Amino acid sequence: MRWLAFAILCAPATAAADHWAESLKGAATAEYEASYVHAYERPAMDEGEADGLGLAGLRARGQVGGDLVGYSIGVDLHAGATAPGGFAYDCAFYPMGLGVRFGKWSRFAVIGGVAAAGATGTIDDAVILPAEASLELALGSRLRVIARGRLGWVAGAPSRQDGSPTVAFADELDASFSIRLGSRKSDFGLAGRGYYLGVGYREAEGSRFVGAVIGHSIDFATR
Amino acid sequence: MRSLGILAAALATSCVIAPRKLRAPPNDQATVMLISGGLAHPMDEIARHPWFAVRRAGEQSFRFIEVGGGGGEDPFQNSPYVDPILHEVWRGAEAERAIECLEREAPPWLNALDYWPYPGPNSNTFGDVMLRRCDLHASLPATSIGKDYRGWFGAGVTSEGTGVQIETPLLGLKVGLQEGIEVHVIGLAFGVDFWPPAIILPLGPGRLGFADR
Repeated sequence: MRWLAFAILCAPATAAADHWAESLKGAATAEYEASYVHAYERPAMDEGEADGLGLAGLRARGQVGGDLVGYSIGVDLHAGATAPGGFAYDCAFYPMGLGVRFGKWSRFAVIGGVAAAGATGTIDDAVILPAEASLELALGSRLRVIARGRLGWVAGAPSRQDGSPTVAFADELDASFSIRLGSRKSDFGLAGRGYYLGVGYREAEGSRFVGAVIGHSIDFATR
Repeated sequence: MRSLGILAAALATSCVIAPRKLRAPPNDQATVMLISGGLAHPMDEIARHPWFAVRRAGEQSFRFIEVGGGGGEDPFQNSPYVDPILHEVWRGAEAERAIECLEREAPPWLNALDYWPYPGPNSNTFGDVMLRRCDLHASLPATSIGKDYRGWFGAGVTSEGTGVQIETPLLGLKVGLQEGIEVHVIGLAFGVDFWPPAIILPLGPGRLGFADR
């Protein structure tokens, strides 16, 4: 009898929890990316710094929440080399953020977290507190604009602080603008994929870099 | 910048020169074929699944030895996998020996499989393990994510038998005469194959250049 009373009391709460779980909407993106940026503007008396930075790896982003607004997270795992030669890495974890889905296929997110990045011999190893804003905008069924900007506040590497000539309140700036050409389907949820090509831009240690970005991206979302 | 554009165009058109024709040999001898297919959209360009299509002499249809399992008269039709690639064919006495070995080695491995799509063990780990256990000299493409999974740490001879590899889930290295040089970063393979010449990439058919033969 006690179990019956318990079940009757808990039934509305269980139903509400079920309804809440069913109403959750999600979206995720994974990008395999290779990029190279080369310095085109250097401060005077700047020796021993990297002229170029090439990275390859995986970028993953996820969002869960309502139809429009959701909680966003992300992970970056990139490794590569600098010119002159040195092993380079850039890994980040973004445990907090806010994303907005607009339309079925487009979204905007701002996320923040912690990163570790550096290169042997040319870029001092540092812990970075990054904040990233990203936009994925569907233009018809085949084209997708992928724009991304990341500001970084550097800890543990004085040489990398105040390194962005444009943004006075941050130490580093990374940005990219790419166009993806691909396909999308809505058989089971919403899913698309394609290769993208774009422009990469970086400001660090007083230098400005520009280069190219190439990658393959896939995206998923609930309806 | 221009070379990156060319690379993008080549990847987008899945540029592999001289791939094996998707044609099953006659059934006068036993046949084993190593085939892989891309996962369904949108994963088709980044992940593949392998199967051994086996047929004894005189039989009409193929049986698939894989994680999953099926079969049919057309060894290249294995739904839901798309864009099949034929990697290797064994015939005659070699195929008979391979079938016996696969039938002996596959069931216990599959029964003990604690499947993880990434980084493994998964269907590609199964394919690579069977190649090594049955001494079948071939390799899976770079997009067979999980083929190099060896647990937290592993080292040994490669599936093609002419090289060595050392692996962790984070980083790995494969070096060999036929294998070329492959660096594995979080399960993604990048490298150079010297013969047939190709750049190894974890996208599309897994290589840019001549097909692996």
